[in-house]
Amino acid sequence: MDLSDYGLSGFDDPGLDLLSATEVRSWYRRQWTGIAAALGFSQSLERQYASSSTVSLAGENQTGLEAFTSTFTADTQAQAQARVQSSVLASVIARGRQRGELWRTVDDVATLPDGACFPAAGELHRAFFPDTAPGYFGDGWPGPPPRAESACGWETPLVLHLGTFPWIYSGRLEGPGPGHRWPLEPARLGLGVVASLLDPETNLRQDARQVAAICRTFASHTLALLRNLPTMPPAGTWSRTPPPRLRVGQVFVRDGQVLVHQSSLHLAGLDGPRGRLSVLAYNYCVGRFAAFFALRAAAVRALPALPPHVQQLALSSPDPVLRHYAEQSIRR
Amino acid sequence: MWRLLSILGVVGVAGGALLIGRRANASSSTSGSTSGSSDGATPDVADIDLPPLPTAADVPYEALEMINLEKNWGDTPPDLRPLFALMEATSMIVGSARVFAVIAYRESRFVTSAHNGNAANEQDERDDSKRAWDNNKDRNPPLRFGAEAAAFGSGGLFGALAPYFLWTGVPERGKKAPLLNAPPELVFQPRAAAFGAVVYMQRLLAHYRVDDIADIKAGWANPGLLGKNRGSKTYNEVRTRFLADAKALGIDLFDPTIPAKLSAASWPGVPVAFEKLVGALPAEFT
Repeated sequence: MDLSDYGLSGFDDPGLDLLSATEVRSWYRRQWTGIAAALGFSQSLERQYASSSTVSLAGENQTGLEAFTSTFTADTQAQAQARVQSSVLASVIARGRQRGELWRTVDDVATLPDGACFPAAGELHRAFFPDTAPGYFGDGWPGPPPRAESACGWETPLVLHLGTFPWIYSGRLEGPGPGHRWPLEPARLGLGVVASLLDPETNLRQDARQVAAICRTFASHTLALLRNLPTMPPAGTWSRTPPPRLRVGQVFVRDGQVLVHQSSLHLAGLDGPRGRLSVLAYNYCVGRFAAFFALRAAAVRALPALPPHVQQLALSSPDPVLRHYAEQSIRR
Repeated sequence: MWRLLSILGVVGVAGGALLIGRRANASSSTSGSTSGSSDGATPDVADIDLPPLPTAADVPYEALEMINLEKNWGDTPPDLRPLFALMEATSMIVGSARVFAVIAYRESRFVTSAHNGNAANEQDERDDSKRAWDNNKDRNPPLRFGAEAAAFGSGGLFGALAPYFLWTGVPERGKKAPLLNAPPELVFQPRAAAFGAVVYMQRLLAHYRVDDIADIKAGWANPGLLGKNRGSKTYNEVRTRFLADAKALGIDLFDPTIPAKLSAASWPGVPVAFEKLVGALPAEFT
């Protein structure tokens, strides 16, 4: 599978073999270890791995999700918002999955439960941030407004980038992922989307053209930010020229990841044309894009061994690139 | 008298804050090199690169059983929590990890390269470090980079004043204290800053009347607040600010895993703390 068909470059296909239990376990654990490090649940994940005997792809995703949810404590303060967020998310996830546009969902709030409003202190508030200005994932939303007047002031659709949960808003990549502040149930649904995109069926159902468009926009706005950063050789490799000396707190690039020397990655950021970009968010989003396309390539390779309805998904996809590679794979 | 005033390895603290109570300037960071040294050598601080920040895997298993890295940390950056946990495990001061986090939140906002004293308008910080140097240099072992430390101000995760940081461990180790030949920029290395902080907390707990956790922060600002100035306006302000910091950060200091009074009774000693947190300095700085 050639990602240049989607106008993408720079992603290496790791060649994941979905039919190899060893490879599946190793690849999925690398994915979840990275997610856990970014979202701060590494300790729980390690505990889950220590007690887990899963040998399936679904089991690996379930283990990761369980580790994530185990870090939450009950938040009785935000129950009303959490309830509305959960029901809205359930709705947009179902629709997004049906449309093949789960990575970024766009929905008219008038069609969503409670109009995506929740009550607090006698007033109605928006249950999500109206993320429609130009940002790192897109160039904004030109309209139209909701079909019906919103009780809590929505003037735009609800746009969520669930493929990069918890960084769900195009214009809010400056710090910790906003979705990570959600209470347990909506947060579980959000990370559940990330997990589901690591499942071959949901991955193939997702229109890769949407993901590629977001990825290209992201790359176009972040490339210049990285250009002047020092690049260090991969860990454990020998370099003909001595690597640059790093100061404490200096941001640098290694193995395609942006890192910070002797400081917290969670605090580091880069100032770009569309606002401050958290280094952690950058690495995480790149990781999600890479994982999506790696699994897409693996799923296409393994297509003859996948269930018939999954094969049919790929063969009848509205995405001509997927149809092309799926047909090739089935014919082999 | 010596005993009471020897906290942080400094003999005869003449008032003022040992570790600056003001928040370090998180936007200013180290230049990464110094301009010269007392003995004419030119140290290159980039050569001092301690091991990277610890991860959960670096924290002893028994400690991780007690210190959950995912609960009751509020907004403490997840990749700094293992450092605070390692500080607790190394110092054997049970419950101290989150206290260190709250102190780092105040002193540096968790920016390891935070530096107070490198900007033109931070003369007061340089005055503080110069005073610390002038008042104590004759009563402590010499510092190889004493002049630089005097002009440095304060910095690092815990906002340490440079001369006091470099004298860390002197009461216990005398001329064998481990940082006497190191440049002040070492404080930007989080493991070195952590070493200074655990020694400091141990000495507070061992040599001062510390009634509760908020008293630790009062002593951190100025040990005098735990003595004759206990109950003063400043003492109460520091305590109040510390508790407000914990709340703002999202750490519950009354969590059942944190004792109401911390104890340094199991302190392993400066050499062990240094070895576990820092490891070793390059030969030219030892």
